[in-house]
Amino acid sequence: MKITGFSTTLYEFPVSRRTGDANSPSGRIRGSASLLELYTDEGLTGIAFGGGGAAPQIRSMVEGILMGEDPRQVTGLWKRMVDRAFKGGHDGIVNDAISVLDVAMWDLKSKFNDEPLWKTLGGSNPKVQAYASGLDYPLSDQEIEDWYGTMAADYGFKGGKLKVGLDQDADLKRIARMKKGLEHATDLPNLYIDANEFWNPKQAIRKVREMEEQFDIAWVEEPARRWDFLGLRRISDSIKAPVCAGENLDTLGDFLPYFHNRSADVIQVSHGMSGITCALQLADAAYGFELPITLGGSPGNLNAQLAPCMPNFLTLESQGPVPDDGVMTSDIKIVDGWAVCGQQPGTGVSYDPEALAKQKVESVTASSGSSPFGRRPGAGLWDNPPTKEEAAAAATGVNGTFYVPPHGSRNQ
Amino acid sequence: MCHHTVPETSKYHRKQASNIKFKTMKITGYKLDKYIEQLDRAIGDANYPKGDDLMGMSILRIETDEGITGMAPGGNDAIESLFHLIEGRDPRGVVGLWKEMVDWVHKGNNEGAVNAAISAIDVALWDIKAKINDEPLWQTLGAMEGRAKAYASDIGYNLSDDELHAFYSRMADMGIDGGKIKIGLNMKDDLRRIGIMNDALRKVKNRPYLMIDTNEYWSPKQAIRYISQIEKHFDIFWAEEPARRWDYDGLRQVSRGISAAVASGENLNDVGQMYPLISQQAIDVANVGVGHSGITGARQVANMCYAYELPVTMMNCPANFMVHLAAALPNHNMMEVVDPGREDAFKSWDNHIEDGWIVIGNTHGLGIILDDNKISALQSIELNRKPGFPFPRREGAGLWIKDIEPGEVSWK
Repeated sequence: MKITGFSTTLYEFPVSRRTGDANSPSGRIRGSASLLELYTDEGLTGIAFGGGGAAPQIRSMVEGILMGEDPRQVTGLWKRMVDRAFKGGHDGIVNDAISVLDVAMWDLKSKFNDEPLWKTLGGSNPKVQAYASGLDYPLSDQEIEDWYGTMAADYGFKGGKLKVGLDQDADLKRIARMKKGLEHATDLPNLYIDANEFWNPKQAIRKVREMEEQFDIAWVEEPARRWDFLGLRRISDSIKAPVCAGENLDTLGDFLPYFHNRSADVIQVSHGMSGITCALQLADAAYGFELPITLGGSPGNLNAQLAPCMPNFLTLESQGPVPDDGVMTSDIKIVDGWAVCGQQPGTGVSYDPEALAKQKVESVTASSGSSPFGRRPGAGLWDNPPTKEEAAAAATGVNGTFYVPPHGSRNQ
Repeated sequence: MCHHTVPETSKYHRKQASNIKFKTMKITGYKLDKYIEQLDRAIGDANYPKGDDLMGMSILRIETDEGITGMAPGGNDAIESLFHLIEGRDPRGVVGLWKEMVDWVHKGNNEGAVNAAISAIDVALWDIKAKINDEPLWQTLGAMEGRAKAYASDIGYNLSDDELHAFYSRMADMGIDGGKIKIGLNMKDDLRRIGIMNDALRKVKNRPYLMIDTNEYWSPKQAIRYISQIEKHFDIFWAEEPARRWDYDGLRQVSRGISAAVASGENLNDVGQMYPLISQQAIDVANVGVGHSGITGARQVANMCYAYELPVTMMNCPANFMVHLAAALPNHNMMEVVDPGREDAFKSWDNHIEDGWIVIGNTHGLGIILDDNKISALQSIELNRKPGFPFPRREGAGLWIKDIEPGEVSWK
């Protein structure tokens, strides 16, 4: 089998709920995605979603390395791509390109074997633990309870992850509402919280300790900056909950300080970290250090395919039980709180061509791009609760107003 | 949108037509053959310089309902107690099954005979997985090229100076530019013998890679004194097992006290046991092999080392079968080739040494074809003595150096 070409297609979609985090509390109302298709002389097409901003890097990797090569040799080709990006480092946009190409090649490898990816990777059980992740900063208290309630009652999720970080009193109330929602599935839900690097270590310790007086927190995600291995370690030493971190790191080497200093208690892994190839390396390395891993949110819950072969897999982030962008389709179902990979060959994540034709765009508008908000002013320094304008925008819901605060704004 | 249909002439199409039956596949049975092999030369190290030319060996075969049989060099009676875990299961789930076996032996731990049994089962399952895919295992593992760099290893304390020279000359004739010699008992003899290895390998290049191996015979300070003296005469690439396998403080001390890299790990059983060696920076090169819980376990060790920027070197094995994994590892430097002639049970195996590399062919799976007539013949040989493997530890180890006694080896 030989790679003969590729195409990328951008598309946009309205979100099914307003999504945001501590850096973007007013939330977004449109999203975008990029579909990569990798063609072969066998008629099989490898599919991956992501890398929307990386089209030139994808082209360079395909033309410079992958063209004419056998995608079944994906681990070796991964090394070639990574080595090609040596000087500048395989992070940022180059890393996005490597990741998405690696996923498409794994898709081809398992399609060629006529088996689902979890089986290609050596998994013996396609049913993996999952939790609901609302990306829910813009949601009202009632909407939080309703969303987690639906996830618990209809899909059986027994854990949820709440975006927190800007207003301690509001966060305490919101955690209670998420808990109430999840109690539709279990008396003892797993309560995860996520501050997306908004705090400094001491802020994190103060706030989480206070939360822990009321709640048993199952982990605290990104309570300090991604590279601050000393700060993360200090937080872990000072709170009861595990520190979960790593989602903004790009590759295995970035995790060395975490491993060496035991900075994180749960390691975040995703196919976006230099592809499935590197995600497997990362999980193995964490396993050697007796660290559990969690797989992050992914298109169509694709990361579920990786979990069955990972001996230290803990739980999978599901930002929605079914794809809701109108284009994507997935063979991974959520049943009784488990993500269950199906028998469809490849990653099981594909698309509806008619919908894609309708939603296709030439370029992505800024408001639906990957980072319309950036880092919020005050991060790591002072509290910066949502402004009146942000709260008002958030309250308008999915069909409402998109609002980005003027740069440098703060309410204190 | 480009939608390809599968051309009927494609390899993929033919494969699908013939492979439909593999949608379900079950492990149905196993067969373990034990035999004693007469080697081409006596194998011995600092613990047993006289060595032995008889080696107790075994071959595991795992059968499936699809007629595909997987094999592994190795295996023992502990397989009987593990087989119920894999019976009736799909062998393609090898990584998941590995975890089930390791979890099953939790209390007694994945060590010793149980570890050897799990390792053999794992290898045989990987062999099946690759055979189902109609490809050599290196390709199943995602490697781009079926090859790994080789170094020669005598394991021949009993070899005379002429025999030693002949061995390394034979290896040099195949382009091998590195050698590892067993030393540790007499400085004068060792310096002379390292010189012989060096001279033979200089056919290939002026500064061949020179490795020395003492198999845990020394204490850390003995190692530092001894190796420092050797380093006045030779540039040593690595010193292997200069202290005990678990002595991470001592190995680290040795590494800080000499110029050469410290290699160790071959007598450890899994990634958990490697943890202190890696996290304490006790070693500079990790010996990995099938003894680290099979191909699955060895890959975990290699990936953990990769996170720590540690190179790995693959251990020797019958027919060099672990070269399949070595070819797929991004941090593999070179693989040990001993070639003592222990392949009498095989009809053929598909790798050879060319320009200093072990080059793997395209035979499916591990590439080893068994010969039942040869196995029966080996089993029926009457021997008047038992193999000396596994070697006992030599008197004085870690305390004082017990010199080779007159008549103990062929050359003294």
